[in-house]
Amino acid sequence: MPDTLSVAPLGPEILGGNDVSSFTQISNKIIESTIEIFTDMVMMEISVAGEPLLELAPLKRSITGMVGLAGVYRGVLAVHFPKQVALEVTGSFLGMEVDEINDDVQDAIGEIANMLGGNLKTILSDRGKDIHLSLPSTIYGEEYAFTSQADAEQIILPFQAPAGVFYVEVELER
Amino acid sequence: MDMEQSLIDATLAVFASMIFIDITPEAPSKREPVAIASNLCSLIGLAGDLKGILAIQCPGQVAMGITGAMLGMEVTELDEDAKDAIGEIANMVAGGLKEALAASGRKIELAIPTTVIGKSIRTSGLSGATRVMVPFSCPLGRFGVELRFILS
Repeated sequence: MPDTLSVAPLGPEILGGNDVSSFTQISNKIIESTIEIFTDMVMMEISVAGEPLLELAPLKRSITGMVGLAGVYRGVLAVHFPKQVALEVTGSFLGMEVDEINDDVQDAIGEIANMLGGNLKTILSDRGKDIHLSLPSTIYGEEYAFTSQADAEQIILPFQAPAGVFYVEVELER
Repeated sequence: MDMEQSLIDATLAVFASMIFIDITPEAPSKREPVAIASNLCSLIGLAGDLKGILAIQCPGQVAMGITGAMLGMEVTELDEDAKDAIGEIANMVAGGLKEALAASGRKIELAIPTTVIGKSIRTSGLSGATRVMVPFSCPLGRFGVELRFILS
């Protein structure tokens, strides 16, 4: 199993003539929008839990929500929650108690990925035009590694929720 | 448009042109209810006149066998090669589906493939989406090609 993910410097061949060299600069906007969604929609206070990461160790007993971006930018937004954090987030988001990863948790985590993807669209392009989101999906399991294609650039932002740390990951094609 | 048939056609075309392994879609009446234990799953998002997600679900042995056949070498672990190979298959099957949709007047665009490697990985979509799951048999075992979508 790969335990390292290489992150090469940005190439000039960018779709649509846009400049993704500001990719690392958009991380601040992603942080802002993540905190905003958690405050307004999930009703949970979260904070940044350290510097952005370039790779993530295999996830254990976790659930990942992901949504694809297509159009002028192609990529994936994923949010990785350890089980306890996922249960807490779902409980707060839906206003109900959950104690296992069930359909409600999968829907809630998928919807959070969808909302984060919607904000990422507007961060990347004026009012999100020319970028479309796929359907969100969730992945869960005892242990798994989530990897992007070799030609995608990625950034992983750690956040602290009351029950633990979770990660927002963005991958964009170069 | 018959999405299941389009999915089968796109998958068969990719295997016939690049992987050279005989695969057979299981007829709906003969499908075993047993879920495919997935150790490697490559997913790609679809957006536009159809919003969806396409996933290739493989047990480890099948993923290694397909990767080996595609690259013409022996593959003994779920490594970068397997990730790239199955991710590329997801990408190409989605490309085939895009062409089929275009022929019936629906325009879609593709996101980039992502691969998840682990133990008994489970994936799910949004409740309310239509799910098409086609199990394929090949000499290496079974694997699944799954599409969840909403027509917009």
